[in-house]
Order: sequence, then C-alpha cells, then structure tokens
Amino acid sequence: MITPARASALILPLAALFSGPSPAAEDAALLKDLTSVIMLLGMPCGQVVSAKRRADNDYIALCKDGNRYQVFVNAEGRAVAQKK
Amino acid sequence: MSTIAASAGKARGNIQGIKGMLAVRTIGILILTLAAGCAGVEKAPPAPPSKGQSAAKAAPPSVKAPVKVPEGPVPVAKKLEPPLDVEALKTRLRDTHAIGVFTKLALKNQMDDLLEQFRAHYQSGQKTGVASLRQPYDMLVLKVLSLVQDGDPSLARTISGSREAIWAILADPEKFNSVT
Repeated sequence: MITPARASALILPLAALFSGPSPAAEDAALLKDLTSVIMLLGMPCGQVVSAKRRADNDYIALCKDGNRYQVFVNAEGRAVAQKK
Repeated sequence: MSTIAASAGKARGNIQGIKGMLAVRTIGILILTLAAGCAGVEKAPPAPPSKGQSAAKAAPPSVKAPVKVPEGPVPVAKKLEPPLDVEALKTRLRDTHAIGVFTKLALKNQMDDLLEQFRAHYQSGQKTGVASLRQPYDMLVLKVLSLVQDGDPSLARTISGSREAIWAILADPEKFNSVT
C-alpha cells in the first residue's frame, strides 16, 4: 500500500533529479562560457570568477586576474568582449 | 706344499690376465663410443665462393618473427567517423553541449571570417596558392579542439580526423564555391 507520504518521498527526489540543472550548475556553465569567449577573442583573463547580467546576452565578467569585460552580442550578431 | 704354492701363483697370474683383458675392452668401448659421438657432428658446409665484398657482407639468414594477429573485435571507440565537411562541422558545433552560446557565436564569427578570407582570395584572381591561409586555419582548428575536447571528445576526434578533408575543400576553388 502506497501512502501519500511514501509517494511524495518517491516523487520529490525524482522531480529534483529531472527538473534540469541547478542554478549553481548554470552559473558554472555561464562562467565557463564567458571564460572561453574572452579567451577566443584574445583578451587576457585567465578565468572568469563572477558575472553580472545586464540584459539578454549581455554580462559584466570579472576575471581572476582582475580584468573586467562587458561580454555581449552586438548589432551585427558578433560576440564582443569590451574591457571595462 | 709346493704344489699348492705353484697352483696359487698360477691362479694369481690368470686373474691378472683377466683384469688386463677387461681394461683393454673398456678402453676399446670408450674409443668406440667417442668415435660414434664424433661421427654425429658434421662440419658446417663451406661458404659459397664470394663474388666481391657484397657477398662477403651477406646478412645472416633472417628468422621471421611470427605475425601477431589481433584477437577479438576491434574496439568501437577506435572507429573513426567519416570526415566532416564545412557545413557538417558547423552543425555539429551548433548541436554540442560542450560549449556555451557565447563561445559558439564567437567560433561561428571566426569561421565566417576565415571563409571570407578564402572567398576574397579566390575572387581577387590571385594565382598563388592559399598556403598563407593554412596557419589561420590550423589555429582555428586548434581553438575548436581545445574547447570541445573535454566536453565532447567524440566531436574532438571527428574534427581532428577531418582536418585535412576540410582543408582540401577550402583549398580547392571549385569545391569551395560549391559548398559556400
């Protein structure tokens, strides 16, 4: 006999498992993405340690070496990193 | 009494005679055995008459090592995918989860820039080859490999295996025009 308590005990972990990446994982992915794009654009950075969202596809990235960049997609559809 | 002594001396002489015969037989058997042992050893045949120094330096007869045949099925991971072309490469990069949106966009920008350089080269009518574009091409491939090798090793292997195939397309004006 499955009681409501047992059902919720089964469902809640499964829901947590399949509900998608956690905010922390999303943050880590974003930081990695920003690190990669700054590296691809040939800017010194090392590793992005934090990021602040300004708008859609527009972030301020703080690098481990102290550099700050605005990373965004410009009107021509190019990924740009501007030093701040 | 003297008869007994005489017969004893005779017997002693017989015994010594028998001992001597046995010694001779033993020596004879040993010599025969030695001769039979030596008969089995043949001298190596003399080397054929040499014709100059090359024959004198002839290598000793080679002993062929047994060829090892791999057993069992070939591991699936080692099978290479067919080489990609430019469009397939773009599609694979677009679909991979190994890199984020900004990185994909930056890579696309750089690939488009490189394709534009090829296009400009071919449209300029220069008769020189595109060897000058090989270095930027290699640099871009290395960047892509470094970005995807951790998150999508299969794609990294495929790109690495397609490197020359893609260059062959880019370096041929007709193929380049047909795919872009």
